Amino acid sequence: MKWLKPGKDNREERMNFVEYWAEYVRTHHSNDWSRQQNIIINSQLQSARSVRLTPRQYLEIKGEICRR
Amino acid sequence: MENRYFIDNIYMENNTDIRNMEFVDNRTIKLDKTINDLDRFVLKFIRILEKHADYVIVSGYVSILFGRSRATEDIDIFVKGLNKESFDALYTELKNSGYWCLNAESTDEVYSYLQEGLSVRFADEGETIPNFEVKFAKRKSALMAFADALTVIMADDKIRLSSLERQIAYKRYYLKSDKDLEDAFYIENLFKERINLGKVELLQRMIEDEMA
Repeated sequence: MKWLKPGKDNREERMNFVEYWAEYVRTHHSNDWSRQQNIIINSQLQSARSVRLTPRQYLEIKGEICRR
Repeated sequence: MENRYFIDNIYMENNTDIRNMEFVDNRTIKLDKTINDLDRFVLKFIRILEKHADYVIVSGYVSILFGRSRATEDIDIFVKGLNKESFDALYTELKNSGYWCLNAESTDEVYSYLQEGLSVRFADEGETIPNFEVKFAKRKSALMAFADALTVIMADDKIRLSSLERQIAYKRYYLKSDKDLEDAFYIENLFKERINLGKVELLQRMIEDEMA
């Protein structure tokens, strides 16, 4: 597997990482990549759940209708 | 002329499976992964939804399911239009299973939003995030997502997703945010031997026609 190429700016850096990670997922066992991915997902979900927004507050941010 | 958009998936000759993602056929992938809290959240909802409606998951969760290293606060789902009776049955089962609709309480009101082409959001009762953004498929491109949907098998569960080509085209030519462009790039790289680039181009034209 190729090394992660540094980017000239933030956008290129992110795209290089996306490409690198896709190759990692393609070539590594799912236990390996999903364990790493799950750390991000489970922690982000936990953190999002701790922000106590009401449906009205949340939908106002989204610009959507709330009749609750 | 409309038929030009109905080109089916034509896979490349190199059919090498990606590790832990076995292509059972052109529209079925067997995915072996350690499921996370978001997958659990999706599977529980889908088990109810599929009893009442034809659905397809689109957008961010598709790339996340296949390993993209980011989370999301909402899962976008197209549902084929339901009559009021079928929707009432779905809504009742969702409520009895511990979900609420963030937009309104009354079934009539929630159904009228869907009929108007608006999306409504369902979450665990008392919670707001994460949630399911559910929309009736009305536009041609949304309806077509059902025709070439992908089925992903994970252990005892099945999830229906819009096709890989549709994901790439929708994110790259319609949504276009940095996050969406990265999702498209991820799917394209992950499934590089399997993406029908001609189909992505046709879908690009269709999206541009719809936006014009």
